[in-house]
Amino acid sequence: MAATERAALFTEAACDHNNAKSAKARKAGCPKPKPGGTSGGCTFDGAMITLVPIADSAHVVHGPIACAGNSWDGRGSLSSGPTLFRHGFTTDMTENDVVLGGEQRLFDTICEVVERYAPPAVFVYSTCVTAMIGDDLEAVCAAAAERTGVPVIPVEAPGFAGNKNLGNKIASQALLDHVIGTVEPDDVTDFDVNLIGEFNIAGELWDVVPLLTRLGIRLRACISGDARYRDIAAAHRAKATMVVCSRALLGLARGLEERYGIPWFEGSFYGVSAMGDSLRGFARLLGDDDLSRRTEELIAVEEAAVETALAPYRARLAGRKAVLYTGGVKSWSIVSALQDLGIEVVGSGITKSSDGDVDKIRELLGDAKLISDGSPRELLRVAEETGADILVAGGRNQYTAIKGRLPFLDINQERHIPYAGYTGMVEFARRLDMAIGSPVWEQVRRPAPWDLVGAH
Amino acid sequence: MAKIFNPERRGAIDPLKYSQPLGGALVFLGLADSLPIMHGSQGCASFAKALLTRHFNEPIPLQTTAISEVTAVLGSGEAMVATLDAIRKKQRPAIIGLLTTGVTEVSGEDVGGQLRTYLATWADADEDAAPLIIGVSTPDFLGGLSDGWSAALEALIRAVVPAPLTVEDRSDASTALIAASAPPAATLPAAPPAAATMPAGAARVIPAAAPVTTTVPASPLPRQAGTTDGDAAGRNLVAVLAGPALTAADLDEVAGLVRAFGLDPVLVPDLSGSVDGHLAPAWQPTTTGGTGVAELRSLRHAGAVLIAGATAAPAGELLAARTGARLLRHRHLSGLTEMDALVTELMAHTGRTAPERVRRDRARLADGLLDAHFVLGGVRVAIAGEPETLLAAGSLLRDVGAEIVTAVSPTPAPALADAPWAEVVIGDLAEFAERAQAAGAELVLGSSHARGIAERIGAAFLPTGFPLFDRLGAAMDGTAGYVGSLRLLIGAANRVLDHGHGHARPGRPSLSASHGSAAAGHRAGPEIPQQGRGTAEPDELDNLFQESPC
Repeated sequence: MAATERAALFTEAACDHNNAKSAKARKAGCPKPKPGGTSGGCTFDGAMITLVPIADSAHVVHGPIACAGNSWDGRGSLSSGPTLFRHGFTTDMTENDVVLGGEQRLFDTICEVVERYAPPAVFVYSTCVTAMIGDDLEAVCAAAAERTGVPVIPVEAPGFAGNKNLGNKIASQALLDHVIGTVEPDDVTDFDVNLIGEFNIAGELWDVVPLLTRLGIRLRACISGDARYRDIAAAHRAKATMVVCSRALLGLARGLEERYGIPWFEGSFYGVSAMGDSLRGFARLLGDDDLSRRTEELIAVEEAAVETALAPYRARLAGRKAVLYTGGVKSWSIVSALQDLGIEVVGSGITKSSDGDVDKIRELLGDAKLISDGSPRELLRVAEETGADILVAGGRNQYTAIKGRLPFLDINQERHIPYAGYTGMVEFARRLDMAIGSPVWEQVRRPAPWDLVGAH
Repeated sequence: MAKIFNPERRGAIDPLKYSQPLGGALVFLGLADSLPIMHGSQGCASFAKALLTRHFNEPIPLQTTAISEVTAVLGSGEAMVATLDAIRKKQRPAIIGLLTTGVTEVSGEDVGGQLRTYLATWADADEDAAPLIIGVSTPDFLGGLSDGWSAALEALIRAVVPAPLTVEDRSDASTALIAASAPPAATLPAAPPAAATMPAGAARVIPAAAPVTTTVPASPLPRQAGTTDGDAAGRNLVAVLAGPALTAADLDEVAGLVRAFGLDPVLVPDLSGSVDGHLAPAWQPTTTGGTGVAELRSLRHAGAVLIAGATAAPAGELLAARTGARLLRHRHLSGLTEMDALVTELMAHTGRTAPERVRRDRARLADGLLDAHFVLGGVRVAIAGEPETLLAAGSLLRDVGAEIVTAVSPTPAPALADAPWAEVVIGDLAEFAERAQAAGAELVLGSSHARGIAERIGAAFLPTGFPLFDRLGAAMDGTAGYVGSLRLLIGAANRVLDHGHGHARPGRPSLSASHGSAAAGHRAGPEIPQQGRGTAEPDELDNLFQESPC
């Protein structure tokens, strides 16, 4: 992808914040990584996060071993059926390929994968090294598609292009350019919807889909969680789209609107009120009075049930303080989920969030509580200063927290516990309560016998 | 003696290989107050960090120079300098390991020259405050984890142990050391002619194999080991150069054994001090334990060098050559034979006999070997892992009569030729799965990624090696020493027993059933009817992996 095309990804017409930016700021795109002060994933990582949950497809990484070898099968995105996405496919380039070019090797690898696994599609990812040596990903993918008869989609998101958010955007663009609209479904209903930015971490989608089903709403495509290639290729026939949590994928929703006239809204499945708003959002966009009525009924029933289930946790969690540090995907929606439970969010990291997400957090929290330095030291400092009871963050910060004797809850993609929807909310509250109230803290905070004052 | 079979390379399916910089980072994680940096895109470090965190269940200090596409093309030197400056100001580590990656190696930049130039700018600075900085060439597109470990360890020794002035160091010695801050009070040598600095456009031309430059910081210090003041300490100091197969528990045992002979071990690297899982008084942004700078400096006084793992051999040989110390060479330390050899050497080195504790541990292992041979004798074992892990665990299981029917290593290593079974295949986990199934493996040893393979082929599974991300306590597993070997054997035997309880076999297989050995060419065991496999047709094997379209 040329730099100019990539820059266009940042011209996000649907984003108020982006429109408010100066032309120069828009051109600058995502913030540049800072040498020696960066901890998040790269563009390649972001592209993989968005696309790998297309579970029946093969995902081939064109690069040296580090990119796929250190990362394959490392995410918590679950599939209800096919498991092909959990395999790691890579060209595993060696010195020879670097010198002579890796195009033939990539072609052969794609062909072998298709032959062995017969996937409905192959996604091919470039990496820093293959971008630098100038391998023509598009040409190889086109040739391989012709040879195999299977769609082969180039995703040009080399890691050094920037951060994860950029990778999300590039992946969206690849879907718009190469996938969506290529399959015409024969089972379209007036209540088909898409989800964008829902990755089915720990099976969260499965706590949401039954609610939709009860309303007669059919999930056409989930981009991307427990996804199937043909469903995504037919996403253009949905009647409404919900963008879940992240503004990095707004461009995809806007693309679906521009190209296929599909209306969309932003929402979240984290938190009782957010969940209700999301269901109402679908009812509104699908424009069916009966659906709206049934939606209100469902929300009333579910909220009553969840209130009962949450009551004991609310009593224990009210007034507790949390520091939150997560990426764009959940940065503001978890804030509202925590606030729902009466927990005060005393700080939220923003370094991994897109500008749009940061605006949302600001709305919920105010400027003072934004943490712009996401280093472990800073998180621990904020936690100590504010008297936080818990750090809610991604797995990478788990051990930072426990080394600081600070309770921790993992909300990122490696976790194994679903927190979405009404049932997820109860689980979220239960886990928060367990983490904060665990008997371990008192023990590990106690000094060792030889450190006790007056010990001999 | 094993044949090394390296099938014609294809792309990897379910890679077994990890990258060189990851192995290099592990070495620096075993040093105290240390911070490895990956000189590459931010993803290089973040993927590695996530993986290491999941394996050790520990915070992993690891930084990145965050190379962008612009710096990758126009020059990554500024990003490297900015990173080193930032880290020296903020995290203030005592030791920094700078590891190159694919992206910074592919452009043919003279990273070594850039690092030397940078180091020269603060040569006059306060020596005590200056961190030890070591640059290592670890391109992603060459070798794997073990090669990175080997390279970083060798570079570390080369940097901290001065070459004796009296003995000319071989200038053509292969080394991945690209530059290092000098030993105390040393001045840096003038940069040698850069090895073919490439214009940015000539990206397809890459530097020659491992070394970017082969310069060695000459030390003004006289050689001390084995001469005058080194003598008293020299007899006692044992440099233990560890390979990646040893866990924290293993390292504890080896160190304890050395101490039991009245010697002072210095472990390099010492992952038992850093990522063993200990609750330090407070969080810190660098490693909270491991081998310190002073201990590294003391290596020049070593009276003996113990190579504890084949991966550490190049570093150990270099250290022995530079110090004149006695070299104790062990490709691994698993099993009675290897441990007896080591104890014999330690007895000879010290003139002491083995203390009671060691004798008791040996007696327990000997008894455990006997107990385990009833369970593991004849069991068909498939094992996948780094070369040293294969050698260690494979040899130990061989010692009780298990049959190693499949052994797959991600990368070749000379020591693999000494494996006491027929063949070692260089390959990925897809290759491993095919061969393990074709050979009728009953026990699978491998990383967490191999668990699914064991399940698919109906074999017992013993988590071994790296990474182990779906269970706790990887650092406390035992694999080596009298005690650790016993723990591994008991673990393997119990897995087989547990598995057997749930997998009772109806009757014996027919003697006439011949077993296909399409993959490995080993003596294959009798066919197991329950598992329903005869000759493994490629189609059938493919079906194993076949995904049903939705």
